[in-house]
Amino acid sequence: MTTLLAFYVLIWPAMTLGVLVVICRAVMRDRRQAREENRELV
Amino acid sequence: MNSETLYQFSTLTVVLLLLAFYGGTYLMTLGIRKKNEDADAFMVSNHRVGFGMGAASMTATWIWAASFYAAATSGYTYGVSGPIHYGLWGALMILFIYPFGRRFRKLAPNAHTLGELIHARHGSSSQLILAFSNVLGSIISLMVNFTAAGALVSVLSPLSFQAGVIISGVGVLFYTLWSGFRASVLTDFAQLVALMAIAVVIIPAVFFAMGGPSELVAGLGNLTAEQANFFSSEAILKQGAPFFVAVLAYAIGNQTISQRLFAVNEDHIKPTFLTATIGYGAIVIGLGMIGLMALTLGIQPLNGDMNNLIPQMVSGYLPPIFIALFFILVIGSLSSTADSDLSALSAIMMADVYGKNIARGKADPKRMLLVGRLTMITATAAGIVFASFSLDILVMLVFVGALWGAIVFPVIASCFWNRVTNQAFTVSVLVAMVLFCIARFELIDLAGPGGLFFELLASIGGGVIIGLMVFGFLGRAAGFIAGILALIAMLVFATDFLRDYTVLLASLTAYGTSTLVCVVMSLTSREEFDFDTIRERVGDYDDTPIEEPVATPGDTPVTANLASQR
Repeated sequence: MTTLLAFYVLIWPAMTLGVLVVICRAVMRDRRQAREENRELV
Repeated sequence: MNSETLYQFSTLTVVLLLLAFYGGTYLMTLGIRKKNEDADAFMVSNHRVGFGMGAASMTATWIWAASFYAAATSGYTYGVSGPIHYGLWGALMILFIYPFGRRFRKLAPNAHTLGELIHARHGSSSQLILAFSNVLGSIISLMVNFTAAGALVSVLSPLSFQAGVIISGVGVLFYTLWSGFRASVLTDFAQLVALMAIAVVIIPAVFFAMGGPSELVAGLGNLTAEQANFFSSEAILKQGAPFFVAVLAYAIGNQTISQRLFAVNEDHIKPTFLTATIGYGAIVIGLGMIGLMALTLGIQPLNGDMNNLIPQMVSGYLPPIFIALFFILVIGSLSSTADSDLSALSAIMMADVYGKNIARGKADPKRMLLVGRLTMITATAAGIVFASFSLDILVMLVFVGALWGAIVFPVIASCFWNRVTNQAFTVSVLVAMVLFCIARFELIDLAGPGGLFFELLASIGGGVIIGLMVFGFLGRAAGFIAGILALIAMLVFATDFLRDYTVLLASLTAYGTSTLVCVVMSLTSREEFDFDTIRERVGDYDDTPIEEPVATPGDTPVTANLASQR
């Protein structure tokens, strides 16, 4: 029960971290692509 | 509402924190600033915002200050399942709109607002109904966010509530005013990174500081049977169900979402909205867990105000640096939503009001920009005034919710069914609003046949919600079957029962009535609309060349205008 509850609470910050990494990597890719196409990021 | 129990920053510290936040955000926007902004880019950037920026912007926009407080309140009130019943449904609002968003984008790839699409499909009356609901929603959102800033500043420092409201309002306006949506998207990314990084640290920090898993298990004894049950019917009925009903309405009625649907690279709509769904859910449910922790510890909200739960937990268990991080977390979340609301409002006034109804096809891009910026200034002033005077917006909220519910079916049907007419759209929304008011304010006796009549309409509404959700992902046949099954289930379970829950009854009535009237009127019409004409009717406003960064030697200078790029 203790492990289960710990997992239940901590899974959300872990998922947040995962999404943060995905978004940061994607933005780097967006930035590179925008430079290659000689246009602005936004 | 200054408190002696919560940690207090000095006035200088809070001012420096706010200055660092808004000053840093403003400096970021200088990097993308152009002397002559493009009217289209001011509203939707270049229609090619990438997956990363789009997902960050969508997540940051959808998370507002109230998300944290309400999720924690839900965790504190309903126990183990409480945070899920707040965060999950909020996240699904993003998820369920993207299949329809792809259709909107296919029909009108160059649109700036959903209202423009509806204008091309039907004309002014339907478009203005949609625009009006968007404007009301964004002004309410602005007011709520500025109020949250005022409350936070007054709780954690000697500064007054009004000071917090004004600083946040002016700060957001300052960095959004010149570049509009472009500034909003760029700063959303930075704000989201800060917000996520802080959430990743704060949630485990509070959890272990309060004693960790063993303390949480020990505290389960403080919970009622319903609070300890993950499948609590009380949590579903009181928290989950009303949110579920609003899933499609919030997404359709919110220009901040449609603006991003039209701004993101068309190929990236699905991954963008999926990522935003997971990101929103993880952050909000995670912070909602702090409410559950407070419940297991038997903590009472300060002054009986549930909004104090997270500040109390952070203040009580963590050192001041974490409280400063929490402060930035809330300011970041409310600012990212407020700048999106300003951008949404400016786009509505520029495209829906000026472009389509005043200039009527002869819009001057420079004048459009002026309209957009004046809208931002006026909306900020209105948001600050409403927040400062703590106006009671309950009635406004009730009507906006009803209006959003009433327009869901007509908007979606107008984009898929060629027989829906402008008259069917307009009349169905108006009739739905009238019947909503009758049910919501119990203007007739709901105990007798009147109650049965409204339960029938509400059951249709329930069927429509389920049917549309399934239709979005699985297509017409599956949606139709799911809708019929939901309608039958509603007729069985809602009859002689739903009349006791007038809020839910009235909301579902709005959905059911607008659907019924819209379908009947459309079936009697002989109109067969050609969807291809929408693409021709919705275009760009600004044909001036885009200012590009200075090209490095060897690069081919690109000065093509937006219209020719697409």
